[in-house]
Amino acid sequence: MARYGFVIDLKRCYGCYSCQVACKANNHTPQGIDWARCISTETGTYPSALRQMLPMVCQQCAEPACKEVCPTGATLQDENGIVTVDKDVCMGCGYCMMACPYGERQVVEDWKTYFPDAEGDLDVYEAHCKREWEKKNGYGVATKCDFCMDRVKDGQQPACVETCPAKARTFGDLEDPESEISILIRREGAFQLNPEFGTDPSCYYLPVR
Amino acid sequence: MSTQNKAIKEDVWIPTSCGGCYGQCGMLAHRVDGTIVDIKGNPETPAGSGRMCAKGVAQLHTLYDRHRIDYPVKRTNPKKGVHEDPKWERISWEEAMDTIVEKFKTMKDPRGCYFQATTVQTSEIRFAVPAFMRAWGFKNYWVSGGGLWCGNGAHFMNGIMHAAWSIIPDWNYNNYTLYFGCSKGHGAGHAALQTAQWVADARARGMKAVVFDPFLSTQASKAHEWVPIKVGTDAAAALGMINVILNEIEGWDADYLKLKTNAPYLIKPDGHYMRCPDTNKPLIWDDGAGSAKPFDDTSISDGALMGSFDVKGTKCTPSFELLKNHVKENYPLEKAEKITTIPVKTLRRVANEFHDNAQIGSSVTIDGKVLPLRPSAAIFFRGSQGHVNSGWNCLAIDIMNQIVGAADVPGGAMGHGPPVSHGHPDTGKPSTIPYACDDGMMIVKGWVYDHKPYPLREPKPPQRLDLQDMLPCSVYNAFTIMSPDWDKYLKDFKIDYEPEIMINFGSNSVMTMANAEDVTENFLKKFGFIFSFNIYQNEFTEAVADIVLPDASFLERYTPCVTFPSTFCHPTGMDHWVWQIRQPVVEPIAERRDFNEVMLELAKRLGVEEKYYEETNKLIPVRYGGEMEEKYKLKANEHYSWQDICDRVLKDRLGEDRGLEALKKTGLEKWPSKVEEMYWRWFVPVRVPIYFEYFPEFGEKARKLCASFGRENIQDWRFYTPLAEWFPCPSHTETDPELDLTAYCWRPSFHTQSSSQNNPWLDEVSVNDPFVYLIQLNADTGKKKGFKDGDVIWVENKLGRKIKGPVRLVEGMHPEQLGIAGCHGHWARGTPIAKGKGQFFDDLIIVGEEYTDSLTQGSDACVKVKVYKA
Repeated sequence: MARYGFVIDLKRCYGCYSCQVACKANNHTPQGIDWARCISTETGTYPSALRQMLPMVCQQCAEPACKEVCPTGATLQDENGIVTVDKDVCMGCGYCMMACPYGERQVVEDWKTYFPDAEGDLDVYEAHCKREWEKKNGYGVATKCDFCMDRVKDGQQPACVETCPAKARTFGDLEDPESEISILIRREGAFQLNPEFGTDPSCYYLPVR
Repeated sequence: MSTQNKAIKEDVWIPTSCGGCYGQCGMLAHRVDGTIVDIKGNPETPAGSGRMCAKGVAQLHTLYDRHRIDYPVKRTNPKKGVHEDPKWERISWEEAMDTIVEKFKTMKDPRGCYFQATTVQTSEIRFAVPAFMRAWGFKNYWVSGGGLWCGNGAHFMNGIMHAAWSIIPDWNYNNYTLYFGCSKGHGAGHAALQTAQWVADARARGMKAVVFDPFLSTQASKAHEWVPIKVGTDAAAALGMINVILNEIEGWDADYLKLKTNAPYLIKPDGHYMRCPDTNKPLIWDDGAGSAKPFDDTSISDGALMGSFDVKGTKCTPSFELLKNHVKENYPLEKAEKITTIPVKTLRRVANEFHDNAQIGSSVTIDGKVLPLRPSAAIFFRGSQGHVNSGWNCLAIDIMNQIVGAADVPGGAMGHGPPVSHGHPDTGKPSTIPYACDDGMMIVKGWVYDHKPYPLREPKPPQRLDLQDMLPCSVYNAFTIMSPDWDKYLKDFKIDYEPEIMINFGSNSVMTMANAEDVTENFLKKFGFIFSFNIYQNEFTEAVADIVLPDASFLERYTPCVTFPSTFCHPTGMDHWVWQIRQPVVEPIAERRDFNEVMLELAKRLGVEEKYYEETNKLIPVRYGGEMEEKYKLKANEHYSWQDICDRVLKDRLGEDRGLEALKKTGLEKWPSKVEEMYWRWFVPVRVPIYFEYFPEFGEKARKLCASFGRENIQDWRFYTPLAEWFPCPSHTETDPELDLTAYCWRPSFHTQSSSQNNPWLDEVSVNDPFVYLIQLNADTGKKKGFKDGDVIWVENKLGRKIKGPVRLVEGMHPEQLGIAGCHGHWARGTPIAKGKGQFFDDLIIVGEEYTDSLTQGSDACVKVKVYKA
């Protein structure tokens, strides 16, 4: 039993999108589906403008809004706090997409090839991605980031954590007060995104300055 | 994983090196039943330390992309030109090679051959390309993007000042980094993944970064301070700040200047060194003894940096005083503000911060060695160098490091790749240590260009088609070959042969040198036959290639070494040296073949195999530091495969038991670095110039040479001055009020020049990114012109050449500048994902003598434009 969480250090992140691509490679998400998006924003006015990159993952909320609205009970929360979708139960109604205040759910209707102009069958790599996607997720159902639980169970870090060039991401157990992320959260003034939504995310951010 | 699925027969991780950019990070590729299904960083190597960026991971798609070229093809449409459809027809390798051999054998003159290569596959350029060039007997080459995207000012000046290709701060100790037009540590391929971690660590412990950039770029967004600057005015800002440090603060590292530079060298009124009549050595005034002594006289107790001294009746001044007076007279802050638009008070404050953070006088002990600690660094790259003032922009910035002694010492600006290597403990190779000329000035041992950055090349009648060898500091000359008057240049300078065959290795020069029409019509179409090794059909192949050969990508080929010569991969600080190889993780797909193997076969079929081996034997010691053992040299009477050659290089450099088979298991060999290597400056008895005594003399020689051909005015000879200057680009002196913005381009860190845009994951990232596919304009400027965010606008230069795209109005942009991500806006049929995305900035570039750095011949990449709604 644990409560898995993320700490993303905005001071370290420089917005290279490596997390977004590593997530695609690991989770074989189809075209247009990104479980590790990066959102760039600009505030202020010239010459004191500021630019900020906000890397996203599913926030794995302790009180997930997506679970609350799920009419079929397909959305589950495992013993480690990871919110998952049972693809055999989900009917793809999309309520969860609307309910998630962080926009972290997507329904995939079909496999759209990345290479629409190429002739012939999918290449061996894209065919591999399609197979893997169908095995784990499929179509017409809600899909989402699960903190790479397959990797975690295998003793590895989530793909975005492992690849991050700036080591901006830390994964661990929020319940363990001595875990690296618990220490970071206590020591570095971590915050959750939009706590006013009341979902108690398991993803924490460290301030940019 | 293999235990979970019984059907899987093979499940392995293969160590190799990424080829997604020139950073050469260590990579592990996951192969399952013959297919690569995952890519990650190799934690065993310091080159990337186990991380992998978006470009690296995305190579999964590039390997298998069905748009890749899988078979040789020939052009059937005889018409060449931008946007022409070549009407490719598949041919056999045999036919392709027969045709190529025939073309070579019927050349009028072997010198009419031209090699064009890509900056991405830097390793192959080390010896395989030059060995073939020398074997066949030609000197013409271009590395794509050279002179425009990088190459001239930056690398040349880093060679003179740091014996290195580039500089990066030593973020292990650095507390203050001043950025000019570069994104090092923020994705740029300069030891990309190590520096990303170090910058993040440094930022977390309070390192302050100040970024001079027209755009609130990635690195500026992470900095403590973004200082908007007018493009191409970097030297004016740097010289203004040097003025503050030398004349207001009056703070400099006297020990460093006296012992590691020519600051104390006495200069005669004619600008030359005052030399010892007996030894001809430059003299220093010894304040302790009250007399002039040769610079290397060990009895000098206190070399004077300032003052005026009578040496045998001649009034002499230390070069430091000349620099100090020069910046005082010519670069007062008010003038610097006028040129750069940076307020006086900002320049003054930043100069003070830079100086104060250098902590002159402080030291640190590393591995028992006491070293100066200078945690301030000013760094630059493409933004500074892509201008008429290419060379001096880079140099002026580096002089900031030199005057506070922050060069190749802990915390300071470091020669990238350290230029000092004592070699592997077992073999002493690769070894390289800079050494001093008779004047005490540093000479690089080994160099990746044909010529060393110092001593300068003697101007002599040109042999090359671009006239590069005629000018003393020139690296890439675009202004000659891309001029509509190229023929006239060749005739005037009495080049007695013609362009005949071009061998192109991966370069997409139609998109990376200048306006596509200029490059194609004035230059590429002059070659009667062009064959090209590519992984995609791109703008180059479609415009001009006669035969295209399907190249193996980096995941399908062997390279004996990717981390030496260490141009972009070895970082700084006490870590490990690493010798990394590249190996095929999968056999080349379809009929793809490794470029190296094909060139070797070509050498054999052309009857120059022996010479190819002989030249390889000469190049290995230069490129990979240290003589070859006799037993590993390639023998004239033998026939080798590319793998044989790789094996010999490895055994010779690393030892008998570290041949190709051994290295394939680990992908690398590493050994600990030493303080004397990483922080080499005070361990090597060399000096660097702050006063370029030899420039005027070489400029004069070049001028006279050009005059002898009746073309005295092809360059502005004022650039050959001994003290750093800011010379304006045409964009700075344009008087047409309609052309009210200056367009420039920048490099997104998740793309690699023009080579990565057909990758679907990188395309997705680019769509997601708010800038890459859009034109960035200051919000207020845009509103005044009646633009709304997303409006499609034309950007037009003075020649009426224009590009079109949606505008992104941003606060983070200098109001007089307009930014575009470079190398986008592809149009080739062979890269449909890249097609039509973003803008092709280079179409705005104007080529010509006045748009060229007269010192290093770098191309100017800032253009005055007008903008209006489409």
